[in-house]
Amino acid sequence: MSVAIETEGLTKRYGRKAPGIEDVNLIVAPGEVFGFLGPNGAGKTTTIRTLLGFLRPTEGKARVFGLDIRRESVEIRARVGNLPGEFALEDRMTGEGLLKFFARLRGVKDLVYAHELSERLGAELHRPMRRLSRGNKQKIGLVQAMFHRPPLLILDEPTGGLDPLVQEEFLDIVEETKAEGRTVFFSSHVLSEVERVCDRVGIIRDGQLVTVEPTHALVDKAFRHVRLTFDEPVDREPFEKLRGVEDLRVEGPRVFLTLHEAPDEMVKLAAKHRLVSLEYERPTLEEVFLTYYGANGGHS
Amino acid sequence: MSARTGQTSTVAAKPSRHARSRGTLSVLILHAVRLRIRSIVIWGIALGLLALVTIASFPAMEEQGQQLNDLVESYPPEMREAFGIGEGTDLTTVEGFMASQVFNFMAPLALAFFPILASSAAIAGAEERGTMDVLLGNPLPRWQLVAGNFAATAISLLGVLTILGLFTWFPAALLEIEELSVRETAEAVLNLLPLCLFFGGLAMLCSALFHRRVLATAIPGAILVAMYFVNALGNTVEELEDAQPLSAFHYYGSAIENGIDWADFAGVTAVALALVLLAALAFRRRDIYT
Repeated sequence: MSVAIETEGLTKRYGRKAPGIEDVNLIVAPGEVFGFLGPNGAGKTTTIRTLLGFLRPTEGKARVFGLDIRRESVEIRARVGNLPGEFALEDRMTGEGLLKFFARLRGVKDLVYAHELSERLGAELHRPMRRLSRGNKQKIGLVQAMFHRPPLLILDEPTGGLDPLVQEEFLDIVEETKAEGRTVFFSSHVLSEVERVCDRVGIIRDGQLVTVEPTHALVDKAFRHVRLTFDEPVDREPFEKLRGVEDLRVEGPRVFLTLHEAPDEMVKLAAKHRLVSLEYERPTLEEVFLTYYGANGGHS
Repeated sequence: MSARTGQTSTVAAKPSRHARSRGTLSVLILHAVRLRIRSIVIWGIALGLLALVTIASFPAMEEQGQQLNDLVESYPPEMREAFGIGEGTDLTTVEGFMASQVFNFMAPLALAFFPILASSAAIAGAEERGTMDVLLGNPLPRWQLVAGNFAATAISLLGVLTILGLFTWFPAALLEIEELSVRETAEAVLNLLPLCLFFGGLAMLCSALFHRRVLATAIPGAILVAMYFVNALGNTVEELEDAQPLSAFHYYGSAIENGIDWADFAGVTAVALALVLLAALAFRRRDIYT
């Protein structure tokens, strides 16, 4: 079975005005849920639109299910359900009309799954688009991307404009999609949802893919927040000398620090005192993400 | 680098590419026509009312026909031509009267904007509105967007022309103006088709090239007006005579008086189709804008 998405040196330059993407190398396996992270303007949408054939790559190659994005775009789109990041729907059409139209284009015989998805997401299918709020249009956007059960879902900021309950329902649907062996590639800057459902994440910064790792590995190898409480005040200096310590704060018997190294040295130092409690906390993906986008431009 | 799960993806069996292509094209055409039904009715009735008022005023004009002819004769020839009253047009006949008031002046100038607006909305407009990415998320070849929308425009135009024809012929029949036959009416309205398709094709090319609706409307609109005046004034202004064959109006004639010139009809239609082909080629390789 060919990989779901494979890019080699994929580059899209718009000219001097807008940055595009540069030398993106990425493999997404079938059945995987892949989170594509980055702030607005980092290149997430450019990558997605290039994969779908909306933008012509400047350099490099990409294949979706082994199909070339330049020559076989129609075949690719037959296998992909897509939710664009910025989109509008024909004002005068209703959601039902739009789904019927897309079903005919795709040769889908019935709308049973479309109606099921609409009900779960609370999409209003019988009002014209011009009367729908952004969130309601987003729901119809999601339904049209998913109703034909494509082998690959490519979703650009799928939860934008959705209320928290609908976001939860959407994440459940993503998990079901994965359970069916289908692939999901979605871009987001909402880290909590990515952390919850994605097997792996890619972080894109200024058009370049900075890192691709399993979600848990990205969090595991990152720094930890440490809080130590002793039975009496402790000296600050030995803690300052520990390797990889940042944001050290000593308040009497309590020590707070961020540790970028393995905890061995710190544990041995702490053991020299009588330790009352130890909290060793994983950062959120949000904090990990910020290390790539820190004030100094982060590190890669 | 990739964490493979070992699960297989479910690629459903697909019909052959050609079978699906035919299917998507007809679905696209039907969809585009459906979205335009309201415009078809509005355009048809607006132009139809012009025809109806004109034909209803004919019996009164007929009584003063010779005076009217004399009055028009006294106009400068450039002005006569600019208002669609060509050499030899006899305002005392219903055909001549309808030609001068509707079919050689207002109808082609106004109706050409129907395909111009439709074509500019089909690509550049869809990009500006943001509907293009959702539509192209479907397995549609880009050429089908061009061809399907153009075919839908042609069908919509036939709808407008049918309404215009009915609004022309029925009042004539009610007022017992027997000189205006069904055939003459049909030829008069059908003759508008190639000219309108030409400007629709031009707008489609601009829409495919520029991805900005204002350009895809303004450029063909300006060319429409320029071609009209080059042709109209070419009959009296010597300097413009050589440029007349470059104007689509040169091949339009006056079908209500002389019948359709089928060679010109086919020629202008072929040029319109060539413009659509160029539009499809231009659109095939360019970036889609949002």
